[in-house]
Amino acid sequence: MMASDSPLEIGSAFPRQDAVAKVLGREKFAADYYDQNPLWAGVKRAGIPHGRLKAIHTEAALTVPGVVCVLTHRDIRGSNRQGVVRKDQPVLVDSKVRHCGDPVALVVAETKEALERALRRIALDIKVLPAVSDILEALDAKSPRIHEDHENGNLLLHGTLEKGRVEQAFQECAHRVEAWFHLPWQEHAYLETEAGWAVLQKDGEVTLVASTQTPFRDRAEVADALGLDLHKVRIVAPFCGGAFGGKDGITVQSLLALAAIHCPGRAVKMWWDREESFIAGAKRHRAMIYYRAGATASGVLHALEAKLYYDTGAYDHLGGVVMALGLEHAGGPYRIPHSRIQAFSVYTNNPVSGAFRGFGVPQVNGALEQIMDMLAEAAGQAPVAFRRRHAVRRGDINAIGVTVQGSTGIQACLDTLVESASWKAMKAFKAREIPFKRRGVGIACVMHGMGYGPVVPDVAHAKIELQTSGQFCVFCGVVDMGQGNAATCLQIAGHILNQDMPRMALVLPDTQKTLPCGSSSASRTTYTYGNALIAAACALKKRILQYAGELWMVPDEKEVLLVPGAVRHLPSGREMALADLAKGLNPSERVATARFRAPVSREMPVKDPALRLHGIPHVIFSYGVHAAGVEVDTLTGQVQVKKYMAVSDCGRILNPQLIRQQIEGAIAQGIGYALQEAVIVERGVMKTKDFSTYILPCALDVPEMETAYVELEEDSGPFGMKGAGEVGMDGPLPAIGNAVADAIGARIFHYPLTPERVLAAMDPNEKTGQKG
Amino acid sequence: MNRVHLPRSLEGAWEILDRVPEARVYAGGTDLFVKLQGEARSRAVLVCLERIRELRGIRDAGKHVWIGACTPYTEILSDPSVQEHFPVLSDAIRKLGSPLIRNMGTMGGNICTASPAGDTLPPLYILEATLEIRSHSNTRRIPVQDFILGPGQARLEPGEILSGIEIQKGHPYPVHFYEKVGQRQALAIAVVSLAVMMRLSEAGDIEAIRMAFGSVAPTVVRPLPIETQLAGAPLDEKTLREAGAMLQAHLFPIDDIRASARYRRRVSANILQRLRLRGKASMKDSHRFGP
Ligand SMILES: Cc1cc2nc3c(=O)[nH]c(=O)nc-3n(C[C@H](O)[C@H](O)[C@H](O)COP(=O)(O)OP(=O)(O)OC[C@H]3O[C@@H](n4cnc5c(N)ncnc54)[C@H](O)[C@@H]3O)c2cc1C
Repeated sequence: MMASDSPLEIGSAFPRQDAVAKVLGREKFAADYYDQNPLWAGVKRAGIPHGRLKAIHTEAALTVPGVVCVLTHRDIRGSNRQGVVRKDQPVLVDSKVRHCGDPVALVVAETKEALERALRRIALDIKVLPAVSDILEALDAKSPRIHEDHENGNLLLHGTLEKGRVEQAFQECAHRVEAWFHLPWQEHAYLETEAGWAVLQKDGEVTLVASTQTPFRDRAEVADALGLDLHKVRIVAPFCGGAFGGKDGITVQSLLALAAIHCPGRAVKMWWDREESFIAGAKRHRAMIYYRAGATASGVLHALEAKLYYDTGAYDHLGGVVMALGLEHAGGPYRIPHSRIQAFSVYTNNPVSGAFRGFGVPQVNGALEQIMDMLAEAAGQAPVAFRRRHAVRRGDINAIGVTVQGSTGIQACLDTLVESASWKAMKAFKAREIPFKRRGVGIACVMHGMGYGPVVPDVAHAKIELQTSGQFCVFCGVVDMGQGNAATCLQIAGHILNQDMPRMALVLPDTQKTLPCGSSSASRTTYTYGNALIAAACALKKRILQYAGELWMVPDEKEVLLVPGAVRHLPSGREMALADLAKGLNPSERVATARFRAPVSREMPVKDPALRLHGIPHVIFSYGVHAAGVEVDTLTGQVQVKKYMAVSDCGRILNPQLIRQQIEGAIAQGIGYALQEAVIVERGVMKTKDFSTYILPCALDVPEMETAYVELEEDSGPFGMKGAGEVGMDGPLPAIGNAVADAIGARIFHYPLTPERVLAAMDPNEKTGQKG
Repeated sequence: MNRVHLPRSLEGAWEILDRVPEARVYAGGTDLFVKLQGEARSRAVLVCLERIRELRGIRDAGKHVWIGACTPYTEILSDPSVQEHFPVLSDAIRKLGSPLIRNMGTMGGNICTASPAGDTLPPLYILEATLEIRSHSNTRRIPVQDFILGPGQARLEPGEILSGIEIQKGHPYPVHFYEKVGQRQALAIAVVSLAVMMRLSEAGDIEAIRMAFGSVAPTVVRPLPIETQLAGAPLDEKTLREAGAMLQAHLFPIDDIRASARYRRRVSANILQRLRLRGKASMKDSHRFGP
């Protein structure tokens, strides 16, 4: 580990720069602002899943002492629509209620107590419509339409990727397997629920501090929805207390801005409680997934068919894009000559689903990697051998017809796993017999594309300044939602400029101070911004060295070196403090900026412009292989993960501590997804209202995790890295599913694997078919 | 906001309770404050009992051990006489909540909450604990199973508090067992729980046994006929399978978001099998075993 006062270096392990302030409770999150004695804003939510709004009775609420105003859709001057691709979500309901969490009226009050009292006094007159809660039922032409203006009824988006001759290929197969898988909604369950505050300044600017992953996109959405000038909206994005995709899109932003413009000069705060976050926050899409796969007599993977159904809930949110990423990843990192994959994103009156770490891939990979085990077994091959035989290499055509480019470490990951001591230990683990327990081991391959795809520009602008104090300040326009990318920015710039952490400063995203960088999402955060920052830091370094060289009248700036806090003339040993040097430069000379746009695929596996817009195909992928050892209790059906190993290919590692945190965190979240977590919704109504019934894993449910890396160089990445934020999430569910199947000799197709389901699967008297 | 009183003596508590009879008492607050949150900003006056010395501590009185109703779990766990004489209770407490909850929560609170899932209740039923109930003018004693009437219902009159729990020492059941089946490894409400004390013969047969199940009926279930039936039976698969079948008539479980009634029935029967392991292990060491 590196001492905090040694110059920052790429590749060294050091504690993230934000750690101390967070541990001491000094870091201010969006929820932490109380300074200006804020007003409190809150919303009345519909409470029913589907209906037509007839009237909103606000009179009684207005009489509550301390209530400042009650606002409805009539108070909105803009489009009153939000959304990233399809703008279909109202800030406040104006005609239809489409899920229980839909906001109908906004109350602003002097105190939280007055706010709650007023909210209880608002009466809604809603004509109830039949709720659509089943995915297949929603697609039935006779089902009520949730968005009357959408031409495809309740089908938000669909897409097909086809390669080869699938039907014929299946006939050529000697081994065929098929199954339907059911994956649950997952709650992000961040520590910091949705929160922020806003104030209308004297000059007419709305300043909005929010827990968000997307400040620049929020600014455009808020301005459009409320009819404000883009440049009169300023969004400030502190560190998030967790986000995982749940803050990729509007939560409190438009509501807060609306409240602020009706209460000039007063700060207005909104902070959802846990129950509200469950009802109104986005979830990981529930999915139903069908797979069919076939291998030839010699055991070669020959044909694959899949149908993916995602429940996007009441609004698009990012449901179309999530579906497209699932579609693109449905063939996994394998060479498969014949494939047909169809995907459907479906509107229902269920809670809104959206981005969640993995973005549609954990669902498909959860199913695919179990189908691979089933096919390997049918063809008489071991799971690892079968995957090694079919895993892609650079230059291959992948399962959806796209050339595999960039660093491709899936084979190397499999080799590393098989040669590891942990893998041998897992076999020994399995061999040991314990009364009333059955043990099993399972693996799963993972791959995860980076960035926005071929059409939407994946761009970041970096800015760095030499301040008159001699410090270098990085203006980071991309949010740090907890993953540590801000610390990595300082490391990248510090490495290039040869500075230590105390000589680095940071400005977090602020639409007025930092340059547009896109979202903190899609495993692109450090990749895209990091590349821009390298260019900016190199430009500034060159300018400093040239300036010093000219000042000292030396023939060549190569004689000058940056050292912590100073420049040094190497032949003479002479030094000048950076603080002194900075005073000789004018403000614009002390700043460098640069732009980077991520590379895009030049291939056209699909002509459908909608699918290209939604991101297909990607060019750079991270890879990995996960292995889990589980123990099943034969008396109770409880499953415990006892051993876990993940080998990842995320390119070169900039900070070993941070990547370990990413992979371990994803495994823990994945264990929850596999075994415990399930948002339960009945006919559109939330049944798991809080953490007493929504069961997150705790420390005792998560085993010691071993992480290993194959550090291949990704030529296009900053210092050779690729994204590491999501790839770890795609592995645990299928690895654990395969391990449980290995332990009990039966496969379960409904997730999570609750003790009840596992116990039933072990019972020879229970029917456990392969169908849903 | 609630008004909270923090008396340091019983005298102080009576003074408040006489004046404000509708006041609500609490100890650790780990149940009460969750409940108040659901009651739309309850303004109830609260009386905190946890600082009252007469309600705290553990006393070994020779024939029995007295545990103050407001003694936090962490303190009970570190007490040598509880560990020595009532390992089934220590085991249950060790599986209750998390370290934080055990630092705050009390057995008095667990008993008065009267949840069928309360982790200390099955052990207290088979230990045949007696509760000491006090009011300003009176002290009475009542067996725990007579005190608890149903979910959230206990035989506690206005002005009464639970002051202590008395447990007889010297039960002739050297083998203790507690199993909790929850939705995760900690911080989980029991879906099924089982407390057992038994005595085995040299040959390993059951000489005498007591058992109680949690979360399978409105109150803890102690199936006395099965206890009788098992006395003298071999501790084997068949005996326990038959006991599990007989048990079904004593269970009245519900379907809820945590588990189905069917699962609760099945698992109640299944986990009896784990006693076989306990039987083998008991030949060497006399207590403490968990799955
Ligand atoms: C996160 C969490 C996890 C939990 N996990 C578990 C678990 O695993 N197993 C389990 O069994 N429970 C669990 N509980 C519930 C709770 O912690 C226990 O029931 C605990 O024993 C309650 O004790 P307390 O002192 O905090 O009760 P309090 O909340 O103080 O009181 C509970 C009730 O009893 C009454 N009361 C308390 N003391 C007295 C007294 N001396 N005389 C008269 N009435 C009294 C109060 O009025 C109130 O109605 C959990 C709770 C939380 C919040």
